[in-house]
Amino acid sequence: MNPIDAQVLALVTANARMSSDDIADQLQISVAQVEILLKSLETQGVIVQYTTVVDEKKLPQRSGKIKALIEVSVRPEKRTGFEAIAKKIAQFNNVVDHYLVSGGYDFLVIVEGDSLEEISSFVSDKLASIDNVRSTATHFIMKKYKEKGILIGQPPKEERLAVSP
Amino acid sequence: MKSDFSHILDTIPPSGIRKFFDLVIGAKDVISLGVGEPDFRTPWAIREDAIFSLEQGKTSYTSNSGLLECREAIVDYLAQRFDAHYDPTTEILLTFGVSEAVDIVLRSILNPGDEVIVPEPSYVCYTPLVQLAGGKVIPLDTTSTQFIPDPDQIARAITPKTKAIILCSPSNPTGRTIPKDTLIQIGKLAQAHDFWIITDEVYAELTYDGPFQSVAALPNLKPSTILLNGFSKAFAMTGWRLGYVCGPPELIARATKIHQYSALCAPITAQYAAIEAVKNCAKDVQAMRDSYKGRRNLFVKRLNEIGLPTALPEGAFYCFPNIRHTGLSSEEFALRLLKEQRVAVVPGYVFGLGGEGHIRCCYATGLEELKEALTRIKKFMKSLQ
Repeated sequence: MNPIDAQVLALVTANARMSSDDIADQLQISVAQVEILLKSLETQGVIVQYTTVVDEKKLPQRSGKIKALIEVSVRPEKRTGFEAIAKKIAQFNNVVDHYLVSGGYDFLVIVEGDSLEEISSFVSDKLASIDNVRSTATHFIMKKYKEKGILIGQPPKEERLAVSP
Repeated sequence: MKSDFSHILDTIPPSGIRKFFDLVIGAKDVISLGVGEPDFRTPWAIREDAIFSLEQGKTSYTSNSGLLECREAIVDYLAQRFDAHYDPTTEILLTFGVSEAVDIVLRSILNPGDEVIVPEPSYVCYTPLVQLAGGKVIPLDTTSTQFIPDPDQIARAITPKTKAIILCSPSNPTGRTIPKDTLIQIGKLAQAHDFWIITDEVYAELTYDGPFQSVAALPNLKPSTILLNGFSKAFAMTGWRLGYVCGPPELIARATKIHQYSALCAPITAQYAAIEAVKNCAKDVQAMRDSYKGRRNLFVKRLNEIGLPTALPEGAFYCFPNIRHTGLSSEEFALRLLKEQRVAVVPGYVFGLGGEGHIRCCYATGLEELKEALTRIKKFMKSLQ
């Protein structure tokens, strides 16, 4: 990847709402160049989606999502290995992240729902019942400290002196 | 008798920055471009090592020069990063920021009447500290060479009493960086006329358009060079108060003598933090540098667009817009901008010759604040028409 592409990507990764104007001026390139670059990164599928990091704690009570991290052990299938099972799991709307991992289990699946019940029934009715899923272990997320490299609930920056040498 | 205070001190005016600070402190909803420090917190790895040192009970004095482990880590860093080579046992002293380093270096080398050449506009502490050390400042106005010290002008200022020149590159307040060729020419003058080059390189890591050239790394110049650097800017460690001076053993021994009586040693917690900083934090520094660079590009371009001619500075986190065409003095401009649009900048006159007609803006503040400041400055400029 060329350095300008990488720098544009770094800026929108940190702040997806940064205007093309601001990106252009920071990187000393034209606005048109930024837009062409972004469009091309989107078309190539390098940029898949622009999303937002939310601190659910700040939302009015009960409107926040419940999240759980599920360890899934499976029996790989002949010819397709993990792929066919992975595709089945990843399609569910409740699944927000899904990884194949090394170690004591196979898939790390992060699911989201409106209530504990929703997640529990998802695990029992949908996930655990898939053929070749051998076992699951569900960990409900109780508190979020950091997401996508961003500290959550960080105290505001301390005041610097307004004028200093 | 008690009312008779130090005569030298009483001839030195209080810093113009202080005066402005007092005005800003009472004002509400002010966007400050008047700061002289990073807007990052010290990287966590550094803070964590400092905390660990406290948990281990490392709370004593260190040797006057500083922990050997810290001095070794710093000289390794200087060698790798800037090709400047020093002996950790005899050629480096850890100080309370670069500020103490400037003070004790000047007191180590100056006798009454010795002259120190200071290209201006310059950082505000050089002139008063030369005067307190009994020396005489020979200020040089660098306006006509776009704030880069001019070797010909320096040559004309040299007298048999010239003891040193103080360089600051990248510069506070202009952000300009002295090109290698110019440094070599100044170096030749220093060798020919046997004076010191005191080089304040605290912004060395914040150089945006190419590698930084340390004076100490130039051929044959090490014996004439007193290198000052510190942790405040590169590692976002202003409050830790840690700097250092590197130079020939005969200079370091003398600076250490003052340091042992007036400061004893630099803070031990900061020294442990510094070891982690120079050993393992290059990536953090790079990330901060990239962030400053982007803000510099955006801010300087837009200042020019709203009618404040501003050269693109090569380093530090300051720019130095020219406000002469507004017809206002730098103090009037800064005062009115603060009062009418609630943006704080530092009037250029406080930085000495050539500073008048300019304001110092620090862009080490959030992008959204910078954009809001630009909107307000634009309104202010319109109101002047």
